[in-house]
Amino acid sequence: MEQSFQIALEEIKETEILVGIPSYNNARTIGQVVRAVMAGLAKHFPGAKAVLFNSDGGSTDGTQDEVRRVQIEDFKTILASHPVYPIQKIVTPYDGIPGKGSAFRAIFEAARILKAKACAVVDSDLRSITPEWMELLLMPIYEGGFDYVAPLYTRHKFDGTITNSIVYPLTRALYGKRVRQPIGGDFGFSGKLAEFYLTKNVWETDVARFGIDIWMTTLAIAEGFKACQCYLGAKIHDAKDPGSDLGPMFTQVVSSVFGLMREYQRLWKEINESQPVPTFGFHYEVGVEPMSVDVERMIGHFRLGVKDLMEIWRKVLLPETAHWLESIARLSDEAFSFPQDLWVRIIYDFAIVYHRGTVHRDHLLKSMIPLYLGRVASFVKENQKSSAGEVEENIESLCQVFEEMKPYLVERWAGGE
Amino acid sequence: MGEVWRVAISDSFNKFLGKVLTFLPNLLAMITILIVGFFIAWVLKVVLLRFLKAIQFDRVSERWGFSQVFSRGGMAYSPTILISRFFFWVVVLITLILGINALEVAATQNFITHFFNYLPHLFAAILILVVGYLVAVFLGQAILIAGVNAQMESAKFLSRAVRWFIIVLSLTMALYHLGIAEKVIIVAFTITFGGIVLALAIAFGWGGRELAKDFLDRHYKEKGEKKEGPDQISHI
Repeated sequence: MEQSFQIALEEIKETEILVGIPSYNNARTIGQVVRAVMAGLAKHFPGAKAVLFNSDGGSTDGTQDEVRRVQIEDFKTILASHPVYPIQKIVTPYDGIPGKGSAFRAIFEAARILKAKACAVVDSDLRSITPEWMELLLMPIYEGGFDYVAPLYTRHKFDGTITNSIVYPLTRALYGKRVRQPIGGDFGFSGKLAEFYLTKNVWETDVARFGIDIWMTTLAIAEGFKACQCYLGAKIHDAKDPGSDLGPMFTQVVSSVFGLMREYQRLWKEINESQPVPTFGFHYEVGVEPMSVDVERMIGHFRLGVKDLMEIWRKVLLPETAHWLESIARLSDEAFSFPQDLWVRIIYDFAIVYHRGTVHRDHLLKSMIPLYLGRVASFVKENQKSSAGEVEENIESLCQVFEEMKPYLVERWAGGE
Repeated sequence: MGEVWRVAISDSFNKFLGKVLTFLPNLLAMITILIVGFFIAWVLKVVLLRFLKAIQFDRVSERWGFSQVFSRGGMAYSPTILISRFFFWVVVLITLILGINALEVAATQNFITHFFNYLPHLFAAILILVVGYLVAVFLGQAILIAGVNAQMESAKFLSRAVRWFIIVLSLTMALYHLGIAEKVIIVAFTITFGGIVLALAIAFGWGGRELAKDFLDRHYKEKGEKKEGPDQISHI
């Protein structure tokens, strides 16, 4: 930890609330996020000492200056009175390998040093954040006795495909808790949980990058911390090229999920069904931005994978599964369909081989991408005309297939011991 | 006459006895070396077998593609068994050579000296081949996956080309190290790869002008279109 940062924290001594904002070149949006956080803290926690902590990955676009500059000039526009304590701001670059997880680690460190009671983290590229998010993410911890608050959003029906097709159904089937957005990016957590996170030596792995969200959620559930979820409304990010970071994003998230499966194998083998977690917040309908999806390109990517990567996949999949994939690849674009049970079988098979280590792990995960895109293409085709509710039902049915086929995972996993 | 005959026989017998008495300790030394050598070979085999099983070497071999190579070559044994047997036979071979050397027969001395001088080169060559193969498999697979994820139709061709390039390169290095037709090897390698590069340069520069133009056109067109974001799906 940088000395100046340590000194700044020691000067503050203690805080009740800590809000972390990890950032990297988010000058366009971070001002609005900081304003929403400050307003939310002043409005919902006027009597509490609060610190806003920006953990930056070395931005070159003036993100840190923007955080320092932003102030709410007139609290009367949003509040009945001024907050008792001024909100302290700390802006610091983080140490360690570049990535979201390293930024979070600095936030956990700050929470430990400041003995924070309740903490929250929010993405710095959010366009839909409101001051109410602070109440929703912090109050269950500050007053409700919870240790972990996961977000619940209204998103476009085709958004969050890694969450919907892998992370949510798999986490739910494994650990038996229905946390709908386990990698949502905006979380609340207790100081106690932050301290627990710091005891783990994972900061040189994919957890230090995109794997941090699922790692936090899984640890909170698996280690028996009191978890809930809160409805935050719409989630709209700053526009970016989604294709540019699919590879690292996908491999880092999935490797973290599979890695955690190895760590908690004794726990999840004993769990047979899932339970809902307490859910807070008022659920309301919001309009989400329309989006276009290039299904043909995804199907083409899948077909190329079947043509060229089958040699690797055969080391992972059962012969009948490989044969099934080949038959799907021969379907026309119009008839293309990637069944749920085939997808679940593939995820379980890849998790098993990741655990056994018989295929180089990085190659294994990267070779999954064409399969993932094939499944996403099929999902988009199936739900082209569906409403948001119908899409949710579709995801629910996928989750049930994951749960029903869990004995297949347990049996094959044991076979590799 | 009888005396001469008796002395001749006696001298001959004494010489023979002298040779036998000189040879006998050597023979006993050889037998001892063989017994001890075979015992060490057996112990080494057992220890290696247990060690490789403990570190799950078969699993590592499967990951690196060794198992597939062995099974393709018709080998029915696991890499663990093969390696332990290999070292068993290496020790046996060394034992035999030491045993023969112990006999102190002039004809074998020279051969054995040469053999031991050559042994380090042989091991270095084997090491070069093994490492070369591992690197070839790893890079070939990495390029194949990266190519497919970049949606390159020629990913498999590119992957095989890289794999074979590294295998041939390591084979060349191994043969060079063994001192087998050094100059011929270097010249053949230079001509082959120089020829391939020249052929590719001509093919792309002349024969594939239109293809290259199309490729670049499409590449930049796609890049331009991407900025407008035809596919706006957010994966997380």
